[in-house]
Amino acid sequence: MIQEFCDWLSMTNVSVAFQSANWFVPTVQTIHIISIAILLTSVYVVSFRLIGVTRGGQPLAVLVAKSTPWVWITLCVLLGTGILLTITEPARELLNWVFRVKMLMVVALAGILLVLQTRLRRSPEYWTESPMRRFAARAIGIAAVIIGAGIVTAGRWIAYV
Amino acid sequence: MALEQALARLQDLPLPTQIRESDWLFPTIETVHVFALVLVVGTIMTVDLRLLGIANKERPFSQVAAEMLPWTWTAFAIAALAGMLMFSSKALIYYGDIPFRLKMVCLLLAGINMAMFHWLGTRHLEAWDRGRPPRAAKLAGGASLLLWTTIVAAGRWVGFTT
Repeated sequence: MIQEFCDWLSMTNVSVAFQSANWFVPTVQTIHIISIAILLTSVYVVSFRLIGVTRGGQPLAVLVAKSTPWVWITLCVLLGTGILLTITEPARELLNWVFRVKMLMVVALAGILLVLQTRLRRSPEYWTESPMRRFAARAIGIAAVIIGAGIVTAGRWIAYV
Repeated sequence: MALEQALARLQDLPLPTQIRESDWLFPTIETVHVFALVLVVGTIMTVDLRLLGIANKERPFSQVAAEMLPWTWTAFAIAALAGMLMFSSKALIYYGDIPFRLKMVCLLLAGINMAMFHWLGTRHLEAWDRGRPPRAAKLAGGASLLLWTTIVAAGRWVGFTT
């Protein structure tokens, strides 16, 4: 069924137009990569603080409040450019298990950040209020670093698997 | 001609040959290159956006730069090493590739811009740290944004022309 959908999508006028413009894929991929650069840096700045690699400077709540708008904006750009790339080469993405793993990791990262952000909105001291929460914050930071690296890795391996 | 002979000899060395012929070695090194480059671009852009007065406006420039640039240099060293390994595997092809040459020229210009901005920034730290960024700071930030965007674009184009 997915195969049939890919075949149909790749024959649509939009897909054919994207495929025949040599500049289209590299240009969209460039925007995609720059968005990942901003997203990953924003996520890592917060994650390293949660893990304790970086200390001092702004309070965690301020750091998260400043970083998360960049995360959500770049995630929207990534979604938009990702859809354009999928329309251009549907089978390359939708039939590839690496692409599916990448999408799962994107959802997981967005979920983690949402939990982090909403708890901090409730109380700026939320993640430091008890040893258990400090441990959870550390775990969230480590998970975000690993998932972020995983998203980049999967993104590159889509081309090879 | 001598350069081309040297490049041919380089790509025939055991490690470059192994990278070229292996199914997983080149993609793995490329993944490391992209991951490190993404962090280089992200951290540099954070500093550039501060220079342009778009992000982190209320924080001193020197503080933002001190937090970001150690990560930039570490990631750059990793990206450069991975890039050299990739280059060595197909040295002659990359050498003749226009987007690759453009990427190298932009890297050189970005390096010069960074050295100039470091020199200017340390001389006029007070002005760069507080209030609206001076014109030189905006110029350095804008040039850096443009050059790094071109580096990413040229790097992506290399994948379609080699």
